[in-house]
Amino acid sequence: MSTTFTSTPWFGDARRQPALAFDDCSLGITLRLTAITLLLRPMGPWFVLPIVLAAAALVLIFPRVLSTPAVWLGISVAIALRIADDWPLADNHIYLFAYWALAIALSLRTSDVSSALAFTSRWLIGLAFVFAVCWKAFLSPDFIDGRFVRVTLLTDPRFGEAAMLIGGLTPQQLDADREALTPLPEGAELINPPAVIEPPRLRVIATLSTWAILCLEACVAILMLLPPDTSISALRHAALLTFCGVTYAFAPVAGFGWLLLVMGIAQIGARQIWLRRVYVGAFLVVLFYSEVPWANLLLHVLR
Amino acid sequence: MQRFIPPILLCAVAIVQIALAHTVALTPWKGGGFGMFSTLDHSGYRGVDVIVEGPDRSEQLTIPESLEVAAARAAACPTNGLLRRLAEGVVARERRYDRAVTRVRLTMWRAEFDPVTLHVSERTLRTFVYDVH
Repeated sequence: MSTTFTSTPWFGDARRQPALAFDDCSLGITLRLTAITLLLRPMGPWFVLPIVLAAAALVLIFPRVLSTPAVWLGISVAIALRIADDWPLADNHIYLFAYWALAIALSLRTSDVSSALAFTSRWLIGLAFVFAVCWKAFLSPDFIDGRFVRVTLLTDPRFGEAAMLIGGLTPQQLDADREALTPLPEGAELINPPAVIEPPRLRVIATLSTWAILCLEACVAILMLLPPDTSISALRHAALLTFCGVTYAFAPVAGFGWLLLVMGIAQIGARQIWLRRVYVGAFLVVLFYSEVPWANLLLHVLR
Repeated sequence: MQRFIPPILLCAVAIVQIALAHTVALTPWKGGGFGMFSTLDHSGYRGVDVIVEGPDRSEQLTIPESLEVAAARAAACPTNGLLRRLAEGVVARERRYDRAVTRVRLTMWRAEFDPVTLHVSERTLRTFVYDVH
């Protein structure tokens, strides 16, 4: 039996495609969670924000809008306008969001939306991680020699408790380190600058963290860009979920985590119900990370 | 074929970002090249010093709230265009307060950390002089 496929018009409804698995839960969940992510982290100036919010709300309310390519194209263009208006201050996941919305729009015009979106999702995540690894491994000398993690552990308030608990610093030493690592005004430099106190345990943690971050990101990049295969697919999902589960506990960019997880769901087959649930759970975990001061609560409990 | 368009766009923007980072000192954290969390060269360790000169004055200004975004843009990517926009904002603000300005001197800097001791020092990225006509 042969089926003739035609391209869905920009203002058409992709659900009308013959043999199109639009009822496939992964696809529906992918698009809805993308819209939810837009609503959770509103972005842009007055001429972009209402368009993005309205489109996201309509997508969630009306299935017809959810599967209309022009709506997603409009979201992509609106995000691109936001990037241009705010250049160069937009974070990298805003760019990724624009590519992703464009990918959805283009995929909805194809005869096999799920596989088209899964393909683009793999490439977008893979390439984003390739560039992230390139910056860390080759283009930023202060990452590979450990300086980035060392200074971040000492100066970023989110890591202060960890630096004391695991690294063995006292509160006084941490305060002294933060003062020593603050640039002096107008380029002044002390003749005898105070020494930065770094217990050996803290140095070990910094070194291990540096290499663990690099290895995990490289794993995600490689696994995403390898040709699709059932055995690799499991590893690919494991790597992405591990990355999101660890990174967004600390990194203050939940929007990036949600976007990566949504793109991961787009790669799930119709029968992988358990994996879909894991991803949705991970989406909620990132929400928990971003809204609950879990590190402080944990510290209070431990004390 | 359409499915390749978003990945190609991502690559194009990221390659341009790397080029801008190496030519006009765009911070690796911005610009769509996915260099975030890779370096200490970010907004927390970049800044701009503003010196305003007039007929009887030469003084350093603290960046006012109204110019914070313009200063952040200039610090993230110190191109002529973004620096000029910041300088014009400084001039307009000074004039609102009836203070004469003949020149605005902007110095963009970033902090650098010693690989062994972590001692911090400042490196000037560029200076920009805006003469008021």
